[in-house]
This record gives sequence, C-alpha cells and structure tokens, in this order.
Amino acid sequence: MSRFDVIVIGAGHAGVEAAYAAARLGCSVGLCTMSRDTVAHMPCNPAIGGTAKGHLVREIDALGGLMGRAIDATGLQFKLLNRSRGPAVWSPRAQADKRLYAAWVREAIDREPNITWLVGKAGRVLVEHGRITGLAMEDGDRHDCAALIVTTGTFLNGLIHIGDEQHPAGRHGEPPSRELADSIKSFGFETGRLKTGTPPRLHRESIDFDGAVRAGAFAEECGDAVPVPFSFDTTEAPRNQIRCWLLHTTDRVREIVRANLARSPLYNGRIQGIGPRYCPSLEDKIMRFPDRERHQIYLEPEGLDVDEIYVNGFSMSLPRAVQEALVRALPGLEQASMIRPGYAVEYDFVQPTELKSTLQTQRIDGLFFAGQINGTSGYEEAAAQGLVAGINAARAIRDEAPFTLARDEAYIGILVDDLVTRGCLEPYRMFTSRAEHRLLLRIDNADLRLTPLGREAGLVDDRRWTRFAARRARHERNQRTLDTTRAGVLLRRPGIRLRDLLDRGELALDLEPSSGDLEVATLENDVKYAGYLKQETLRAQRLRKQERRRIPDDFAFARVPGLSREAVQRLSQVRPETLGQASRIPGMTPAAVAVLGVFLDRPLTPLTPPAPLTPPASN
Amino acid sequence: MFATDDSIVAIATPPGRGGIGVVRISGAGARGIAGVMLARPALEPRRATYTRVRVDEVVATYFPAPHSYTGEDVIEISAHGSPVVLRAIVQQAIDAGARLAEPGEFTLRAFLNGTRDLIQAEAVGDLIAAATPLQARVAFDQLDGTLTRRIRDIDAELFEVITRLEASLDFPDEGYHFIEPAETARCIGAVVGSVDALLAEARRGRMIREGATVVIAGRTNVGKSSVFNVLAGSDRAIVTPVPGTTRDLLTEQVDVDGLALTVVDTAGWRATTDLVEREGVARANQARGVADLVLLVLDQSEPLTPEDGQLLQDTASHTRLIVANKCDLPGRLKSAPTTGTVMEAGAVVGATSVVGTTSVAGATSVVRTTSVVGADFSRPISVSAKTGAGFDDLRRAIVCALTGGESLKDSVAISNTRHVALLVDARESLLSAQRAADAGATPEEFVLTDLQAARARFDDLVGTRTSEDVLRHIFERFCIGK
Repeated sequence: MSRFDVIVIGAGHAGVEAAYAAARLGCSVGLCTMSRDTVAHMPCNPAIGGTAKGHLVREIDALGGLMGRAIDATGLQFKLLNRSRGPAVWSPRAQADKRLYAAWVREAIDREPNITWLVGKAGRVLVEHGRITGLAMEDGDRHDCAALIVTTGTFLNGLIHIGDEQHPAGRHGEPPSRELADSIKSFGFETGRLKTGTPPRLHRESIDFDGAVRAGAFAEECGDAVPVPFSFDTTEAPRNQIRCWLLHTTDRVREIVRANLARSPLYNGRIQGIGPRYCPSLEDKIMRFPDRERHQIYLEPEGLDVDEIYVNGFSMSLPRAVQEALVRALPGLEQASMIRPGYAVEYDFVQPTELKSTLQTQRIDGLFFAGQINGTSGYEEAAAQGLVAGINAARAIRDEAPFTLARDEAYIGILVDDLVTRGCLEPYRMFTSRAEHRLLLRIDNADLRLTPLGREAGLVDDRRWTRFAARRARHERNQRTLDTTRAGVLLRRPGIRLRDLLDRGELALDLEPSSGDLEVATLENDVKYAGYLKQETLRAQRLRKQERRRIPDDFAFARVPGLSREAVQRLSQVRPETLGQASRIPGMTPAAVAVLGVFLDRPLTPLTPPAPLTPPASN
Repeated sequence: MFATDDSIVAIATPPGRGGIGVVRISGAGARGIAGVMLARPALEPRRATYTRVRVDEVVATYFPAPHSYTGEDVIEISAHGSPVVLRAIVQQAIDAGARLAEPGEFTLRAFLNGTRDLIQAEAVGDLIAAATPLQARVAFDQLDGTLTRRIRDIDAELFEVITRLEASLDFPDEGYHFIEPAETARCIGAVVGSVDALLAEARRGRMIREGATVVIAGRTNVGKSSVFNVLAGSDRAIVTPVPGTTRDLLTEQVDVDGLALTVVDTAGWRATTDLVEREGVARANQARGVADLVLLVLDQSEPLTPEDGQLLQDTASHTRLIVANKCDLPGRLKSAPTTGTVMEAGAVVGATSVVGTTSVAGATSVVRTTSVVGADFSRPISVSAKTGAGFDDLRRAIVCALTGGESLKDSVAISNTRHVALLVDARESLLSAQRAADAGATPEEFVLTDLQAARARFDDLVGTRTSEDVLRHIFERFCIGK
C-alpha cells in the first residue's frame, strides 16, 4: 500500500508520456506495467512519424515530451516525406531500432525521481463518490491516488486471430487484463470493438537482399542525404544506418489469398471489430480493390542487431501455413523463413465522447483515458494523448485550469477535439487533411507555436527555454533580414532560391546547422507564399471568436428552444465546451448551432418564448 | 426564436372569405389536440377524413412525422372559408393546448427539423410572395430542390478534385500520383464553368425575383405620361398638351412578360423657375439614379432640342432605351445642334451601354453577358402612345435590356441575392486555385486552401461536409496503406 498523486496504467507510448509529464510537473507517479521489458514497445511497425504523425511528434517534443528525443537517439533511417511540396505537409519519418528505443525511454523514466515502477497486473479501479481513490492490483496490493490514467492499448478484452486459432491476449505473448476490463466496464462507459493487424516477421538471415536487388526483385530505399531530426533539442544530425527494400505483390499472391479467403477470420465472419481503412489487411487489398494489379511491400529491419524483418504492407490473419506460402510467393523471398505469423487483434475501446478535452472522463473525477483505449491507432497519436492526460491530471489535482490546445494551434488539439467531439467509428489516425488551418501547423514552427505553452505549463526546463529563446530571436532576425534587404525582395520572384542567394553570398542569415535544410526552406516559403499564409491567419482569427465561445459546464441543452430531440441528446452526451466544438458534432445542423449560439448569452426560461427573431422565411 | 417542443396552430389560407380555408396544427401534440377537437378523432395517416368540429363540417388529414411539411406530426383541417369559422377552429385548438404560430414558424420548424434546407426554406417565402407566375415557378423549382441539386452537383465535382489532392498530400508513399497539376487545373476549370453557367442565370433570376424599376425620362411634352399610361394599361397619369403637367413621380406596378416592373413617370426636363416644377425635375433626376432601366422618350415629330441633347448625354451611362414617340406624325427628328444626329448619339449609347455587366449582389465580380441577342440599343424604338403602335417592340426591348436578352421561358435556378453573392465568392476562390495549379509551381496544399474556401461557400448555401467525408471518399476509391 502506497500513495501517489497519479497512477498510470500501462507503459506504452501513451503511458510513458503521461507519467513523464505528470512527474515533471511535480507529481508523485506510479507507473504500472506488467513487464519492464515492454516499455515503449513497438508491437507493429518499427517506425515513428509519417504524414501528420511526424507533426504530432514535433509538437510533443516542442511541449517537452519524450518521443522526439527518443527516436532521434535510436532511429536508423530518417526521411522527410512530401519534400516536393510545401513545408506545411513535410513530415519526418524514421525507422527505429525497437530495442534501443525502448531502452532509451526506460532509462529516461528511470532518471525521473518522481516515478515509481509498479510491476504487476492492474486489477480494479477504486472510486468513491464519483472520484478516483486508487488502484487495486490483481495480487491484492492497493495504491491510493488522486488521478488515474488508463493507457491499456489493445489489452481490453483483446482477442488474437491467426486463421482458425483464437486466443485471448493483449499484444503477442502477453496476458490480457480481464479484471481491469470488467472494472472499467462497470462504470457504464459506452464501448465499441475495433480490430487491427500486423504482418509476419521474417528471419533476416533467410533473405539474400543484395541478390534480390541485383535480380531486380527489390529496390533499395535509403534515408535522406541530410536527415532532419524530430526534436528541437537535438543538436547533432542523426545518422542513417540501414537500408530498407521495396518490392511488389504478384499474381500468385492474389491467387493464394483468393483461394484461402474462407480461412481468414476477417472474411468468414469471426472478426466483428472494425479495422482501419488506411491500413488495410492483405485480404482487404486483394478483395476490395480487385483492379489493382500489385501492391507495395516494404521490408524493414526492426533494429541493428535484431533478426526480425518487418513485412510492411502485408498484415493478415490467414493461417500460419498460408502466410508462409504468401511470403514465399513474393519475388526475392522464395527462401525466406518466418519467425512468427501476422495476426489480427480485436479489442474494446471506450468511446472518447465519454471524455472532456482534458481526456478526463465525464463520469468519474480523476479518471483519464489516453491512447488506443480511446479508439486511436499509432504510437504518435497515443503519445500525444498521454502528454495531454499527464499534464491535465497534474493540473486537476491542484485545481488548475485545464490545458487544452485549439485546432488552429496544434495537431494535438485537432486530435483531442476530434476524439471527444466525434467519437470513433474506426481506429483514428491523424492526417493533414483533418487540419482546417494546415498552412499554419508546420513541423518547423511547432516550437514557436507550442514551446511557450509548454513552458507555461511547467514542462520546459530552463536549459531548453534558454535555447528556445535564442532560436526564436535568431528566427525573428532572419525574417527581418528577408523583409528589409534587396535580396529578400528578389526572393519573391519565382525561380529565385534562397539557397542560391546564400551560397552566392548575396545574403547572410544566422542559421542553425542541425536543422538540416529545414530552416532555409521554411524561411524561403514564408516569403514566397506570404499571401496564402496571411489569408490563412486571417481566416483562423475570424473563426476563433465562434470557435472559442465557451459553453458553461452546467448548460442545459434540453432547455434551448428550437433544438431537435436528437441534437439535445448528442449535445448532452458529448457536452461540448465551446460553440465551435458543438458545430463539429456529427448530425448538428448549421441551424442548430445558430440556435445554440443565440441562447448562450440568454437566461434559459422554459417554454416562454423570448423576443422573436426574424425567421428565415415567412408563410 | 420560439419554443419548438410545443404544438402550434394557424390559419394557413389567406385572410378573408374563400371557398375553403385550412387550419394547420403542427407538433408532437397535434394528434392529441385534433382528437379533442374532431368528432371522429381516429385519423389514418395521409387520408382525408370527413368529420366535424364544433362549428363546421370539415375534412381532416393527418401527416405523421417525419413525412410532413414541418417534419413533425401535422394535422390539416379544411373547413368552409369563413374567417369566423376558421378563427373558431384555431381557438378550439388553442383551448386543446396548441399555441398560435408566429409568422413563418411552420417553415422555421421545417428548417430546424431538417426537412428543408436553407435554400428551400427561403423558397417557401418566395413562392408565397410571388406576384407573377414566373416568380412562382422559379420559387417552386427551388423549393423542389433544383438549385440545391445544381449546387450539390458542382460541389461533388469540386469534392472529387479536393479528394485527389488531399490523397496526394496524406499518402505520398503510395507509389503513384493521384492527380497531375495540369489535370488539377483542367478539373478546376470545369468547376468554374459550372459555376459560371449557374451565375449566367443569376441576373435573369434576380430580375424575376425582385423585379426592376423602369424610369421614363425626357424633356417636357414629348409624351412621357402617355407612354407611361400605355405601359400601365390605364389612364394613371394626367395627359395635357401643356408642358410641365407632370410634376411629381408617378409609379405603377406592371407585369411585362412575367417581369414585375415598377414603372415611374417623371417630370419633363427643362430649365424652369416654377418652384414646384423645379422640385419635380430634381426628383426625376433622383429617380433616374436608382433605375434599372431608363426609357428616354424623344418626340420624333420635332427636331432634337438642346434639352434632348443634354438628356442623351446625362443618361449615357445608364442602361437605357431611346423611345421615339409620336410615330403617327411625320418624322422631323433629324439633327441636333449639339450632339449631331440621333443615330450617331444612339450609336454612342449602344457602345457604352452597360447591359449585362451590372454587378450582381453588390459583389465586385461581374457576370458578363457580352452579346445581347436581339437587342440593338443604338436604334430608337418608334412608338405611338396615341395608336399603341410599336409597344410590343418596346416591351420586348425592355425585357431584353433587363435580362440580358435571354428568354424568360427557360427556367432559372438561381434568383436569391444571398445565393449569388456566395457563388461569386466561390468563383473567386476557384479562379485563384486554378491560377496556382496552372502555374504548376505552387504545391497542392496552397491550391487546396482556395478550393476549401470555395467549398465552404457551397456549404454556406446548402449544408455542411466535414474532413471525415474527404477521408471516406479517399478510402472508397483508393487502396491505401502499407
């Protein structure tokens, strides 16, 4: 029996960020995990980042989180996606050494004096008078806490499918947490069932990579010549240490999948959960897009000294023998041997409309949910929620105002708002198209947008703040130089590149060498697309007023005249905190939002019609 | 804003006596209220039932939610069209628990319940206010969803481009391009074309919906008031041979080939010391300022006077027609001392006429109807107010000048100023996107900001779509994901 300010259940990507953030804000934290070997584990693809996900990592880093520094320290191959486009959609992605990554994070947690490991199985969530009081472990131990953050990933009623085989489990080889699941369910949260999957892993030694490249079966994939780091704190550019390989599926693969479809739990009705559309299983790719002749497959090493090769794009839940045949039907993998088959996993999630934008549940004070349990997929989405929950748990304990980010401030703000407003119908992944003000939310300005907020929240230490202040001053100086010099004016013309001006010595800027070419490119784009940026900023400002109009906590939606029963029901369920959030609730009509807006400022008196407004039409 | 959780009642037919009159009750309690009122309270859905209320024999029809006008339970009671009877029925409904509806409240409920979109709700108002059959038809088409469908079709076209651009941005690793820049520009161009086609109808539509003001101008004693009377179809204006008879503005509502026109007769223009007449002339000048069309009347039995010349100059910047009156008399209209021949003056007028370039809805953008079919503004139209000769030509010319020469027989999808303004905005954004895509150097995300802005305008017109819809569309069409 011990006492913590905050207990975090689960030490995956959400859990470690939550624990770290709460600890940095001065809370005593108990971090509960079944095994210290699976801290910050990557059960699926060994990579961090990607379009929009890379944005999330930069933002986590700008706020003082772990993920960016962890991947910079342990990444094996770095790429900036969308380089041919503008900086708003550039996104870093890196292959990780999954062992080194986990070890780096474990050490970072170990170094935090406020964090105590609680190794064991979490059992019951203890609640009194609608408020969290502690956690009972399955072995009987009890720990008191004021806030509890649940980050159990796919562990809630997890069910693994490999062909006909079915076994209850969380991730591969780990036991599920039934008691905890029942305990959480007993509070009456609305839950749903989702599905995700992972591909088979191959023995590195069984593949002749160079031979396959020579034979034209594989194409080599290398990292960027000048890698761009994830963290604003990284001063030394990370190094590329590995290659990956690209290959394509064959007709034979199609034939095998079709012949064995009845043995896939996805297609024989055994899997009920809804899978992500953006990451379709091999079965889905073949059956839903019959016209597509071939599909891309990437072979990715899971680490420097790791035997496993991850077969990206080849996730499936067919029987083991069929998977072996499919792997060998791929060009260059005729001799490959499988370490373990791919599988599909079904799991329960809690509809995130149960949450406030602090990620605290509406039903129970002090209970927070973060990560896959909220219906998201991806390490980055999980980590971002962990950070938000960790900060807010600490603030809730001290009765401080919630820490929330707006949709025009950060992808993290979009993530949380989408979740708590719209809920999930499938595993939620971040995309840049989810951002209304995409041009403003860039990876290069994540620190300018968020580090001051991280500092205010107490997550950014003095060393980092000093570094940031210098970087911001330098950036402003560079902008002034571009605004005021002849070369800056020249840059506005098409075809004139900032790099050339710098190289020819027509212009001198104070650049950070470790930022790669990111800083040059963003300074250039700020000049070249100034018109677009200005417009976008104005648009965001215009929307901000309605967006941020607050709806009181105790607002009685049922007493607003003019709202349909259905609208009242949705509003009461989601409990939007702003008018902007209310407008994004599925099924809310513009008319309903307008009505709500009118009554936000008026006392609600039931059934007496107030001064009539002009109706939209007369008859 | 009114309460919407109660039941409302109102007389749905116009005030006054009629063959029948209808009382409409809407709300969750409508059936219960009718049950109290009707002698045979059991009503089958959507079937007319003959029954009685306290004061009359009636036919009652029950429209269950949501398939009713308001989207709620609706009872319509048809009684004999006496105001006394109808008021008594309404009172009976109020006694049974209904509330007297505010003006427009039935339609407001339809809008709030989603059975009508904003365009349709607006169209209900237009339909009821229609003064000409043409107005009614345009309003009905909109109520029927014609405009909504047109906008949705255009939006779908745009949505397709947006989806492919978004897919390019969010899935750069898929090994193929979702759309090439040249095709982007071409697709956006097609959307602009569709918007233009709709906007081309706007001027005509707005003219039909809102009508136009036609001001008759001219020096004294050319017969303006006679022309006015013929157009108005009555002897509204006093006509005498005495110059300066008309001193104030006279207006008359006239239906000219379906257009609701307000025709204004003005005092004749001359230098005068008469105080009253001077005020009349000032008002005439003012009226010309707000006119959609000026009819400049000349007397073709007299040579052009300096006053005529002055007026030809003063009205040159207006949309105008030159009307040569008194064609029953020998023509003596040849040359004017200051402005040359009328033909020449008219030719100048024709060249500078701004027909078809009137800015719509106060927006700066222009719906240009460059060639005006069948209208030759350089030639005066000969009429005789005395014999009525030439007035068919004049009416045709008036309609032509106001609508840009297009036939009013074709239906018009768009007539409301709000709709036009939003479309013009959308068009601007589309053009900006097209320019950017055409140049090829601007990355997709910038093109997309303009396209999203255009889509937001369409949303303002009919409804909303979310980023979730974009993603759904992407996943339906492309196999994406490693």
